[in-house]
Amino acid sequence: MNGIKILTVLRKELTAGLRHRAASASMLMFALTALACMSLALGGSPLEPNVLAALLWIVIFFASTVGLDRIFEDEAASGTLTTLKVYADAQSILFGKMIYALISLSALSTFLLPTFIVLFDCPVAEPPVMLLTIVFGLIGLSGAGTLVAALSTAASVKSGLFSILLFPIVLPIFLPAINLTSAAMAGGEISLTMLIPMLLFDAILLVASSILFDYIWN
Amino acid sequence: MIATALFTLGIVAAVFLIVPPAEGLGNLVRIIYFHVPTAWLSVIAFFTSAYFAARYLRRLEPSDDESSARAVKIGFVCVLLSTVSGAIFSKLTWGAYWNWDPRQTTIFVLILIYGAYLTLRAAVNDRRTRAKVSAVYSLLSVLTVPFLVFILPRMYFSLHPTPLINSSGSIDMDRTMLAVLLAALADATLIFYRLMRR
Amino acid sequence: MRIVLEGVRLAFGRAVLFDGLTATFESGRTTAIVGANGAGKSTLLKLAGQFLEPDAGSIKAFDGDRELLHAELRRRTAALAPTMNLYDRLTATENLRFFAGLRDVTVDDLDGLFARVGLTAEDEKKLVVEYSTGMKQRLKFAIVLAVGADLWLLDEPGANLDEAGRSMMLKEIARAVGERKLVLLATNDPSEEAAADDLIRL
Repeated sequence: MNGIKILTVLRKELTAGLRHRAASASMLMFALTALACMSLALGGSPLEPNVLAALLWIVIFFASTVGLDRIFEDEAASGTLTTLKVYADAQSILFGKMIYALISLSALSTFLLPTFIVLFDCPVAEPPVMLLTIVFGLIGLSGAGTLVAALSTAASVKSGLFSILLFPIVLPIFLPAINLTSAAMAGGEISLTMLIPMLLFDAILLVASSILFDYIWN
Repeated sequence: MIATALFTLGIVAAVFLIVPPAEGLGNLVRIIYFHVPTAWLSVIAFFTSAYFAARYLRRLEPSDDESSARAVKIGFVCVLLSTVSGAIFSKLTWGAYWNWDPRQTTIFVLILIYGAYLTLRAAVNDRRTRAKVSAVYSLLSVLTVPFLVFILPRMYFSLHPTPLINSSGSIDMDRTMLAVLLAALADATLIFYRLMRR
Repeated sequence: MRIVLEGVRLAFGRAVLFDGLTATFESGRTTAIVGANGAGKSTLLKLAGQFLEPDAGSIKAFDGDRELLHAELRRRTAALAPTMNLYDRLTATENLRFFAGLRDVTVDDLDGLFARVGLTAEDEKKLVVEYSTGMKQRLKFAIVLAVGADLWLLDEPGANLDEAGRSMMLKEIARAVGERKLVLLATNDPSEEAAADDLIRL
């Protein structure tokens, strides 16, 4: 693996992403629409932390799929994927795109989280736990998302396929993330050891993606 | 083939004629002899699929891809049968079809994974690409199982009876029941083997 | 470098494209692959570069007597094809630096390289979306020149080029062969066919 090449890929993604904001805009607007939809439907009735946490993660998951499913799809549609396959090695592409995915998801969450807290009048008793949970969750989402995006690009029928494929893979992050977020909202006794399974699964996902991506790229 | 059929008939007979109604559960207990073997098969099929997926990526033999896909198809049928029989048992004993206890969650995730795998296969036209992406997906999804089986159950409360061999290592079941159940598991494995070889 | 194809068979569904194809390509030679549309010219290039696995037979690349690993071969391959596109939203320079960077190559003499393929200094800063098809073809060729690969897979290199462009292309190919590069050319253009050392008719 080569750090400079990963940076080359990341820089390309950032430049192209900043010049063409449709992808990030649709991700952002999707999150906003979903938030508005839930907030209006619930009409400001007070919700338990576990319901709030579930809502938050459902929005994060589906908003991410709106952005992440384009990771390879845009390249395939514009015909740059063939050029990329000639000149790039698998690992630089995988990690370059994965870091870009993490950056866009972090940007999304920076907008999403405050909006969510305001709209649902959501308590946050333990901000550090909440932040760490979200960061670990996003690492897993972007790790698995990059590999799954490469898989779904091979398919001829694509609509919805990305979320169908991604959801079972990220469940081991999704379920503890909801639990931890709920605990971080309510406060009380939280042990940071509960973050360990998430971190462990993130690590496993990264290693597995790295090994498996070679087979898809070549 | 005939041996497998006779063995299966023997098991069915044993379940209805030999096994005594269990204390508290009554005749309902007979559902277990269907529910546990199908659940067992759906897990076995899952790992079998992953094994052939890894072998496909190593050797690129189309037959490995076919075996991997066949295991998933068998597993998908088994997981559906197991879920339905489990839900009926749950309704009759605890009064609710579904309550998201960890074992139900795990089996539900298996349904999702199997369904996603089969959707992916149906959506890819090119034979080689299909084999490659399905193999990768099969291997990626198998990683989630240890987490869903071992880690998440410790974070939630469960209604499900403790598995056959519980944490203390003792076996907590009537001897006849246990013998028939083990025979049923062996029979299910044999049927699976037969189906895979066909 | 030497590429050896032995008893290669490839079929797409029921259509058998190659059966028992055997060929050897050597460094320092240009081989033109000609044939009707759909005869498998592009597919043969993909097979030679190991972008595609044959159904049967073997395709191996050697450096001297040592067989090159897949990854090694890939690092030493450059390609040009109508299906390979560039990033519309990046400038010509950004495209060039990106693809060269993926091969650990830094381009020092940018003006010189652009001039070699017949593009001006002004073209360097333009977004590729503003390029004409012929200019894109020249830029793709500049990338092939920049990465300094040993194996050149050129699929219809003269497509969309004007007279000056085509003669530039032939001159550069001749020069590459002089530098002991292995050039494979899928073409239907008589002048490109005439410039090749060997010919495979499909």
